[in-house]
Amino acid sequence: MKSALTWEIIAKCSTTKARVGKLILPHGPVDTPVFMPVGTQGTLKGITPKQLEELGCQIMLNNTYHLGLKPGQELLEQIGGSHNFQNWSRNLLTDSGGFQMVSLLKLAKITEQGVEFQSPHDDGSTMLLTPEHSISLQNSIGADIIMQLDDVVSSLTTGKRVEEAMYRSIRWLDRCISVHKKTDSQNLFAIIQGGLDPNLRKKCVEEMVLRDTPGYAIGGLSGGEEKDTFWKIVTLCTDLLPKSKPIYCMGVGYTEDLVVCSALGVDMYDCVFPTRTARFGNALTSKGSLNLRSVKFSNDFQPIEKDCDCVACKSYTRSFIHLQATKETVGCHLITLHNVAYQLRLMRNIRQAIIEDRFPSFVKQIFKDLFGDNEKYPVWAVNALKSVNVDLLSEK
Amino acid sequence: MSGFSFNLLKITDPRFRLGKIIFSRNKHEKILDTPNCFVYTIRGSVPHLTPDNLQTIPADAFGITLEHFLEVQPPSSTYFMGGIHKFLNLEEYPLFFDVRDSEKLQNISFGTDKYVPVVTSHGCRKVTLEEYIRYMNIYNPDIFASMTDLITVKNPGLKRVKKSVDRTLNWLDETLEHTKEGIQVFGVVTGYDKHEERERSAKETANRNVAGFVLNGFDLDMTSKERLDLMKISLKYLPRNKPRGIDIFNTSYPSDMTSLGHALTFLLIEDGIQHRREKFINLWDDKYRTDFKPILDECKCYTCQNHKRAYIHHLLKTHEMLATVLLMSHNLFHYLQFFKTIRKSINLNTFTNTAIQFINMYGSDDNDASNT
Repeated sequence: MKSALTWEIIAKCSTTKARVGKLILPHGPVDTPVFMPVGTQGTLKGITPKQLEELGCQIMLNNTYHLGLKPGQELLEQIGGSHNFQNWSRNLLTDSGGFQMVSLLKLAKITEQGVEFQSPHDDGSTMLLTPEHSISLQNSIGADIIMQLDDVVSSLTTGKRVEEAMYRSIRWLDRCISVHKKTDSQNLFAIIQGGLDPNLRKKCVEEMVLRDTPGYAIGGLSGGEEKDTFWKIVTLCTDLLPKSKPIYCMGVGYTEDLVVCSALGVDMYDCVFPTRTARFGNALTSKGSLNLRSVKFSNDFQPIEKDCDCVACKSYTRSFIHLQATKETVGCHLITLHNVAYQLRLMRNIRQAIIEDRFPSFVKQIFKDLFGDNEKYPVWAVNALKSVNVDLLSEK
Repeated sequence: MSGFSFNLLKITDPRFRLGKIIFSRNKHEKILDTPNCFVYTIRGSVPHLTPDNLQTIPADAFGITLEHFLEVQPPSSTYFMGGIHKFLNLEEYPLFFDVRDSEKLQNISFGTDKYVPVVTSHGCRKVTLEEYIRYMNIYNPDIFASMTDLITVKNPGLKRVKKSVDRTLNWLDETLEHTKEGIQVFGVVTGYDKHEERERSAKETANRNVAGFVLNGFDLDMTSKERLDLMKISLKYLPRNKPRGIDIFNTSYPSDMTSLGHALTFLLIEDGIQHRREKFINLWDDKYRTDFKPILDECKCYTCQNHKRAYIHHLLKTHEMLATVLLMSHNLFHYLQFFKTIRKSINLNTFTNTAIQFINMYGSDDNDASNT
């Protein structure tokens, strides 16, 4: 199908499947692998668009379900989309809205037609989100990348339902493609489903690749499945998907997951974790997370992380942020700024290591910093990296 | 090397004054033009604003409250070796310290000759005069207010007011004796509604070697007129060559408005008071849902230059924290512009007329701005 992006691989790791790419979207370039912070309701948790731009963020997420409720489709049409509404001049990605319906709403019912759910207006009525409606909403929001409505099942579900959901997601993709009006300014990504079953995943990839969407997402993971199963599905998908298109792994945002998935050939990620955990006073560092509410930081006069160039680290000590954390909004904003800076820096460092072809040693250093003792390394990560020729436990 | 000077630049009829306070330390000068305000802070930061956002606002000086740091004693910041300016990342600005948050005074237990009670998020604490002076000597602020025996009950009797004036004066004497050189002490003039006590407090404080004066001791539910009359009694006895409370104000008004979802829109004096404009707009109101204008077309703040009323309305409705960030940026910017235009107007000798017009339009008898 028609695409409104170009994507070029500019470096490949000679050991793993990791790659660095330059994605050009309607609102500017995106360097991959990329982490996309989540600005659910058309705003990234207390951070101004200017601050986000200064952090070097090239693409952010908005959630279709939330924007559809408030400010609503009509207003978004009127103002010319979410970019204008929130004054964000760089790229946006929207999800389909389906995931929120299933995860946030009780009694969501999925039929061939779409996702039927209880109206959030609390009047007892039901509403129906169809593939057509999701695309129409996403066309009004105007994000640079939009996602198909997929039939989401929990990654712990087994049996016939998983197969049904996979095939239905293919049929829904066709319906999405046929109603997508803005193919010259918005890129529709297909979402690979098929649960934890390699055969279903394989079948799904085959069918969806035939539709030739501008990019592909790996869906239906990060839902509490065994991590050893998770990475095997990811690596299967990156093996099967065309090398010429960006691959997006949905809902991934922990440091070790980002590093491992990048080694497996994934290009894009999103997760609410860095911004959500900030609101509980947790600051991310290369040595792990610091809970700045803890009294042990009250007399700690270092910055959150040495050498971090974010506003929080340049301006304040841990002691000061401890005073603010979870008590004043400023505390939350400072930790959010830091955590987004941390994620974006991590991705920049991943890209740089791939470009300089020292990614394996970079990965080892990340794990050493994060977990210290190699007995504490998660087994799944050791296994996943071994599959792409990086032995975390070797001394070299 | 450090110094402090207050230069009266202009006194216009009948009582408006334009001044300039110069703080100099280590060959570094900070200037505060008056009338002005100490920007309100909580726990040492302006509500909702991180330093990069604060930089977009032309703030001149900040008011810091010790009470906000007293959950643990001594406050952790007293162990920081670089001084309070650096701790708060406000190195470029004059800082004014006080014990209590005069904007959020709660009625708590009485103090004694030795200490005053304070309120923290972990409950009531007390701070002694000796502790206050010690913390100030460590913090090294530009100015602090001497400790005050505040009365938080309504209609205090003469005996209680007398005691409050006595204690406050005694504490001032000890403070002046023990404060490190280079830190300026402002004496607190009190006396509540007892005229003779106001007079005594003002005269006695004026006799001390203070750098300036804080006007205090007003009931929270006084009308502006009552407050003004009491203020005049105090001012009569204060020397004109020192900052006297009407030169610098201390108020949480912009942040209180922000908490309510209100955006300040009152006309600035330089606009001329010809057309009517609301004092503020309530962005929670559904009529702003599709209002694609900025809060004020001509405003140069970050918010008005970048965002629309409809977006701020959306942020309020969805309980997103960016709402208060954008509102605070605008409200504080607008409020400081207000002071800037007052200074300009005094300088141009036009203040008397415009002030009367301003008061006629926006009323004089509301309590949402208070003075220190």
